[in-house]
Amino acid sequence: MAGLYPLAPFLALAGGFLLAACQWLILVYAPTEATLGLPQKIFYLHLPLAWWGLFSFFLVFIASGAYLASRKRFWDVLAGAAAEIGLALAALALISGAIWAKTSWGLWWTWDARLTTTLVMCFIYAGYLVVRGMDMQPDRRARIAAVLGIVAFLDVPLVFFSARLWSYIHPPSISLEPEMKHTLVACIASFALLWLGLLLFRWRLAQDAINLEETTKERLMRRE
Amino acid sequence: MLKAALLIASKDLRLTMGRGSGLLQALLLGLLLIFVFSLSLTPGQRMSAQGAAAIFWMASAFCQVLIFSTLYGLEEINGQRQGLVLAPSPAQGVWLGKALAGLCLLVASQTLFLPATIVFLGQEISDLWRLGLAIVIIGDIGIVAIGSLLGALSQGQSARESLLSIVLFPLLAPLFLGGIRIGSAVFSGKLSEGADGWFGIALAFDAIFVASALALFPSVYNAEE
Repeated sequence: MAGLYPLAPFLALAGGFLLAACQWLILVYAPTEATLGLPQKIFYLHLPLAWWGLFSFFLVFIASGAYLASRKRFWDVLAGAAAEIGLALAALALISGAIWAKTSWGLWWTWDARLTTTLVMCFIYAGYLVVRGMDMQPDRRARIAAVLGIVAFLDVPLVFFSARLWSYIHPPSISLEPEMKHTLVACIASFALLWLGLLLFRWRLAQDAINLEETTKERLMRRE
Repeated sequence: MLKAALLIASKDLRLTMGRGSGLLQALLLGLLLIFVFSLSLTPGQRMSAQGAAAIFWMASAFCQVLIFSTLYGLEEINGQRQGLVLAPSPAQGVWLGKALAGLCLLVASQTLFLPATIVFLGQEISDLWRLGLAIVIIGDIGIVAIGSLLGALSQGQSARESLLSIVLFPLLAPLFLGGIRIGSAVFSGKLSEGADGWFGIALAFDAIFVASALALFPSVYNAEE
């Protein structure tokens, strides 16, 4: 991860530029959907946000398991960074989805399986971040966060299936024209670069905060 | 492990019931919630079956937070937690003991919440009461499994009740949805399609969280304060 960090600014910038270029694909190259019209264009940002958000939570799960197995600080920091980015992306997916829902379904929110799952997921990971921010011994905090990171991800499929039984209007899949597919793949790939850049930045920031804390403690002990 | 669990559960139950205040606080909170929601009804009006079931489960959820906060708080005085950590039995025994004690207290509370829901929210128990009993048992097992795991998480923290609530409630969403749907059928007497699906989800929840609690509890409980 430390070896990858110098690439972070380039990845983030490349992701940003490519996403800007994707706007041309979205607005000009991809045809306008016949039934949903122009608001359907939100889909090209909504889907990458949701997918990368979910992938971030999966990374929290993997890093949490790896932390409990190895007790290496690296995994704990990675889980924290992934959770913050995942929460931000999932929240943006909810907001973009709500805007799209207002134009397509006529309401901002409905208790649909995917919407409910994403909202509950946001609450779960917000709670996870609250735990990470608690004032306690770092090793204990890391262990508790790792347990919560695993439990949280195990709950997600159950939330999805329960919400699906409750009500379901979000389309499970939609058929896309080839131009639409190309645009979607380009958007997902651009988001990948931006996501990796952000993850590296956030990981480095957390690592620097730990180093600063340890240096401060060391100096204070020397003075005593 | 089972012997240690039973010992811990009986110790916790004796301490909680002996003091009285621990369970009383949880009971009062649940009953107050049901009463406050009944104020939204005009005289003679009845709450919808789904609304009443949701209030019943919400009262149970808040009650459970206080129960596990009390149960894990018992060892906080004078660092007695270290005694349990050093005891010659697996840490999972503590989880199971607290879960069993929590289950007894939760069921005891719900036996009061149910009549309160019927009286204050104008509900009736239909012929589907067996289904209701089954979902309460399955739901309670899941609630105490995760409650006992995460109760240890909040140990020693200030404002542990609010911490437990924000972590637990979203995780319990699948159980609440199932409990509310089946509870609604019990109150209204009309069983909607997919009832077996709700039992499947609740049982899957129980299995996943009992297994993960058994695997993960030592990491939470043995961690230094």
